Amino acid sequence: MIQTFQLMKQVLTHPFNFYNDIQEPKKIRWIDAIIVIVLAFLAKMISIVVTGYAFQTREAYEVSYMQELVWLVVPWLTWSIANWGVSAILDGEGKFKEVFVGSAFALVPYVIMIVPVTLLTNLLALDENSIYSFLVNVAIYWSAWLLLIKVKVLHDFEPWKVIWITILSIIGIAIIWFIGILLFGLMNQLINFLTELWQELNFRR
Amino acid sequence: MRVMKCVTAAVVAFALLFTFIPGESSAATPYQGYIWSSKGRDVASINGYVYKQSIDGFEMPSGAFSAPEDVFVAEDNSVYIVDTGNSRVVQLDSSLKYVRTIGDSEGDGVLSEPKGVYVTPDGTIYVADTKNARIALFDKNGKYMKQFGKPESPLIGDTFSYSPSKLLVDKRGYMFVVSDGNTQGLLQIDQKGAFKGFYGANHIGFSWGRLLRNMFATDAQKSQMATIKPLEFSNAVLDNEGFIFTTTLGTETSQIKRLSPVGVDTIGGNRQFGDRWSNGPFMVSSFVDVSVDSNGIFTALDLQTSKVFQYDKLGNMLFAFGGLGDQNGLFVTPSALAQSTDGTLYVADKGRNRIDLFRTTPFARLVQKASALYVDGRYDEAESLWNEVLRENANYELAYLAIGKALYKAERYKEAMSYFKLANSRGDYSVAFKEYRKEYMRDHFFSICLILVGAVILLRYLIPWVWRLVARRIRTKRPNRGVQQGGGIPQ
Repeated sequence: MIQTFQLMKQVLTHPFNFYNDIQEPKKIRWIDAIIVIVLAFLAKMISIVVTGYAFQTREAYEVSYMQELVWLVVPWLTWSIANWGVSAILDGEGKFKEVFVGSAFALVPYVIMIVPVTLLTNLLALDENSIYSFLVNVAIYWSAWLLLIKVKVLHDFEPWKVIWITILSIIGIAIIWFIGILLFGLMNQLINFLTELWQELNFRR
Repeated sequence: MRVMKCVTAAVVAFALLFTFIPGESSAATPYQGYIWSSKGRDVASINGYVYKQSIDGFEMPSGAFSAPEDVFVAEDNSVYIVDTGNSRVVQLDSSLKYVRTIGDSEGDGVLSEPKGVYVTPDGTIYVADTKNARIALFDKNGKYMKQFGKPESPLIGDTFSYSPSKLLVDKRGYMFVVSDGNTQGLLQIDQKGAFKGFYGANHIGFSWGRLLRNMFATDAQKSQMATIKPLEFSNAVLDNEGFIFTTTLGTETSQIKRLSPVGVDTIGGNRQFGDRWSNGPFMVSSFVDVSVDSNGIFTALDLQTSKVFQYDKLGNMLFAFGGLGDQNGLFVTPSALAQSTDGTLYVADKGRNRIDLFRTTPFARLVQKASALYVDGRYDEAESLWNEVLRENANYELAYLAIGKALYKAERYKEAMSYFKLANSRGDYSVAFKEYRKEYMRDHFFSICLILVGAVILLRYLIPWVWRLVARRIRTKRPNRGVQQGGGIPQ
């Protein structure tokens, strides 16, 4: 746990060193990534709860914990898989574990910033919205920046190739989602078919 | 046996007695009042209007009506019913007694399926004589005066099919005519019958789809496409400030417009009038008539749902009633709407050949009174009325908003905030909050400064100190792992 926090501190202060260091053997554990993602989820939920009334865009009943979790975990997982896969084909050096943990740690700025920034909404009026949205954007762009550094350092790419790989990874994510939804639909049909078949057979017994 | 008969007779007589006692009449309305909340949900409310009576002409010298297309209530509360099927206009006085029939049996005064009527304060009757394609004028005694045919102007063109259906006459004596199927706006015709231009036409909005089509379509394809025309007006009504209310067919928003003398909508805000979704996602309300009272509260008739919707001057929904059906209070094919000065609403039902009258409930009178004050910006006077509204219907969202504004004006910002919250009005809440924040800062300036200083000390010195302490403790506790990791993290 403490180790994870130390890593979090490092990714904020020295991102290049951080992504260099995690390539050393035994430096990172799978659990580090899980801890960061859990923290990100908690930060997101807390920020939804502490949003000031004027800034709320959803009623309490419109917020689903499950949905928020899915929208956090699924993009992260698919990004890890797509980015790892694409870079593995195009001479990237990163291992899947490094990509997996490195992507999770890119969310650290968001984890750190979002709760204090959202607490601000309790002190701000709607016409001061720009302050709030600026700070939220800082958190998001910082995270995106870390993600790019991650791609660069872990796979040891040139800057232009980083952008190219990032675009390819996003396309990869789209393909994974498409196939996922397709498979989900087909499986649904198959399971429906099998249950109906079973029911039909039962009727004729 | 005799005794038996006597007893039976007594029982029967006793039973018969009850049949002469009038049965208790039910006051239940066939519809439930509701309002649309700002969250887009229909919230049950108290009915604002209940069915009172009908006029069908059977017991009048005029005889039964046939497919009435319009009803007009003049300033003296006399009622003019456009009896389209019988090609005449029937005039009733303010107590709904028959006065006369307008429309001659021969000569120039013969009407042919008129669809609209307007009566000026001096009693001149303007009839939109639709089938004859003219406006016919009758004096206050119902005597035919003159007519205005199709106006001549290069703007109108030869192919224009003139079919005047509704009209109004403003203070200058200019006629504003709705011509069926015309998308260029209302026709302005002056006292002499000269065409003075189109007024207040709807605009064609921007559409990405159309832009894309026009970019890629060839000329041959373009000629195959339907021309896009602005939406046509279904009705036009004058209010007492000289603004013209129009109803537009075939659109989901801004179906009702309050046009200023230069033809600009003053309700604005792309409001969606009528029901939402209940018609189905691809159906839109089609308002066919609107009526405005002296406070600017306007009532509109929707043909799609056969319902009547009432809004305050700013377009906030107040009431809804009616619906499709055969019971009294519901309509078969409603066609027109008017109201007298006491608030009674007249709804012409073309499908059932009669005019239905609706009276206001005490709740409606309360809301309308409060709303009139609220719209005028007299929030403090309206506040007690709105509180009374809330006592009767605690779900009336507009009341919370209005009370919130009254409290805001009285500089009771904290209370105003709680009312704005109940009204779901985040913008107003935020404005009140800003004032409250100012006030709070002023009152607690010293303690806020103290907290800020404390926070700086805490963040700058105390927390780093605790952090170092803990880190040292951990390092001494697990020296082996600490050494292993120490190399990796540059400090």
